[in-house]
Amino acid sequence: MTWRRLLRHETILALLVLLALFVLDRQSDKFFTLDNLFNQGRLMTEVGLVAIVMTFVIITGGIDLSVGSILGMTAILIGVFWKNLGLPLPVAIGLGLVVGTLAGVANGIIITRFRVPPLIATLGTLALYRGIAEGVSQARSVRGYPEWFYVLGQGQLLGVPTQLWIFGIAAVVAAALLGWTTCGRTTYAIGSNEVAARFSGLSVDVTKVAIYAASGLAAAVAAAIFVSRVSTTRSDMGTGIELDAITAVVLGGTSIFGGRGTIVGTLLGLVLIQALKNGLSLAGVKSDGTVVLIGAVLILTILLSNLFHRDQNR
Amino acid sequence: MLKTTLTAAAALALTTGLASAQSAWTGGDDLPTSPLACDGTPATPASVAYDGGEPTNPPDRNGKSITVVDVPKLIGIGYFDATSKGIAEAAKEMGTMTATTDGPVEANIDDQITVIDNYITKGVDGILFAANDPVAISPVLKKALAAGINVVGYDANSEPAARQWFVNQAEFNGIAKAMIDSLVAEAGDDASFAIVTSTFTTPNQARWIAEMGAYAAACHPNLKWLETVEAQEDNILSFNQANTLINKYGDELKGILGMTSVATPASADAVTQAGQCGKIAVVGLATPNAMKPYVEADCVKSVVLWNPVDLGYAAAFVLRAAADATLKPGDTSVKAGKLGDLSVINGSEILLGAPFVFTKENIGEFDF
Repeated sequence: MTWRRLLRHETILALLVLLALFVLDRQSDKFFTLDNLFNQGRLMTEVGLVAIVMTFVIITGGIDLSVGSILGMTAILIGVFWKNLGLPLPVAIGLGLVVGTLAGVANGIIITRFRVPPLIATLGTLALYRGIAEGVSQARSVRGYPEWFYVLGQGQLLGVPTQLWIFGIAAVVAAALLGWTTCGRTTYAIGSNEVAARFSGLSVDVTKVAIYAASGLAAAVAAAIFVSRVSTTRSDMGTGIELDAITAVVLGGTSIFGGRGTIVGTLLGLVLIQALKNGLSLAGVKSDGTVVLIGAVLILTILLSNLFHRDQNR
Repeated sequence: MLKTTLTAAAALALTTGLASAQSAWTGGDDLPTSPLACDGTPATPASVAYDGGEPTNPPDRNGKSITVVDVPKLIGIGYFDATSKGIAEAAKEMGTMTATTDGPVEANIDDQITVIDNYITKGVDGILFAANDPVAISPVLKKALAAGINVVGYDANSEPAARQWFVNQAEFNGIAKAMIDSLVAEAGDDASFAIVTSTFTTPNQARWIAEMGAYAAACHPNLKWLETVEAQEDNILSFNQANTLINKYGDELKGILGMTSVATPASADAVTQAGQCGKIAVVGLATPNAMKPYVEADCVKSVVLWNPVDLGYAAAFVLRAAADATLKPGDTSVKAGKLGDLSVINGSEILLGAPFVFTKENIGEFDF
């Protein structure tokens, strides 16, 4: 029994990550330097924040395709609130976070109240929010933010990139929420059997709306960090980030049918993808080759995991 | 009644005020123009102080072999295949440069930043780039400069301080001169013509139209501008607009100027279908592949653009010169292999030269 427990998906994945790190380290002496690792953390934060909440969404058996568009819309609105409406930048960011959260709430309400499948609902808002972003921006970008704002995306706090603190706190809070609270258990229950969860007296709809709202909020926080990192806002920001996040979550062992998944798995998935992207590039593999390899790794990992779990799960 | 009259008067004053401020041709902008001399004497470059950046403590690379990465907007399209071909040619010719091209598979600013960031970590001597966004790319390029890497841009610029030099493929007045000269050569000095543009407010197109107006007024005063029409960057709309022009002006229309790579082939198509080949000249900005059918059918004689192979070639030589420290702030020209001396303009930009005119003789050599 115990060796089976050890062969959980997360364990396999952790071994894979170690293997990848070892192999990539042999390919380039620049890979395992503190500078590079922190830098990769910086580049990973936006997708990471979105992926953490996406784990909750997918555990409930749902999906949120609109996060990239929420990111783009929030980024543009922060710029417009600040530049065109003349609000102080902190207020503009605060309002941006509120709008992002509301966009998530809207997703949640469409899904729970009107019984639209999450895939379709968020596919709709994917187009809708991106359209708003493009309409508001009129293809113009907002630039020239004050210097202090860049600390968020380009600066450091106690020697560690600022956004990694935010990411770390978000990961710990999310892991605790999912592992140890009623809210977390409700999330698993919804994904395993929504009808049963409902009849057990769990607040299914409220939990779902809250999760989609959190997804919107995460995308909005990612937007603020993104704007600070690249020092400009564009309406096409965050295009395709939903797919990167979903890839990391699924690679991390979260079942796309719901009911199963962990934050640790998602973090391992994120690290594996980022390590491959960076390490392969340092080893001299070009971008197109890297994309192919990441696709192959995703499929192989899931196959491997299924092989060990065939007789155990479903 | 008085109020109405006053409003009308005010409105009239306002519109006339606006009209006088605007360029002679609809669709141009109000910025000052600087038409080139009619005979093609290069303009004396206004001296602007160097505004580019400097790498921090670069190692002595003079004459040494250097590794360079070229990061275009995206990989896998003909245009940037052509620029990287030029870079490879230059590298081969120099013999002291190893150049690889790597970039995002989509024209995505975030992916492009990541690619550049990884190459900074990997440690290269030089970076060539074509920016997907001038501001967003700047922090990562500044980081490269801080790491002592030589940074040179081409095709699409960053903020000046984030790179050392930028190879500018064509100046607005240069494109304007090539367009008008080609039109005059095909349709005559007193031809009546119309312009198909994207929208009246698209920055590049508006600039070109304003410069064309100024150049025509100075060098070909008998040219008769009829109308400028908007066609977005839409294939069908461009065709319809060109078709409307042909029907509206009949025999009076001797030429159509296409201002976008969509409008030009669509106008050529409209002229072909109206059976007006040879009677209405189509001159415009476009990529060779889209224009080959019309050029080979003798319906279009000149397509104006720059040569992207030369653009990449020049960028590689500029990077080499920057790495060798033979090109320094304040210099007025740089040697670029077979292209000869290229001049420095606007402080820290290097002008590729006069635009390239694709004709039946040479269009077959280009594939983008």
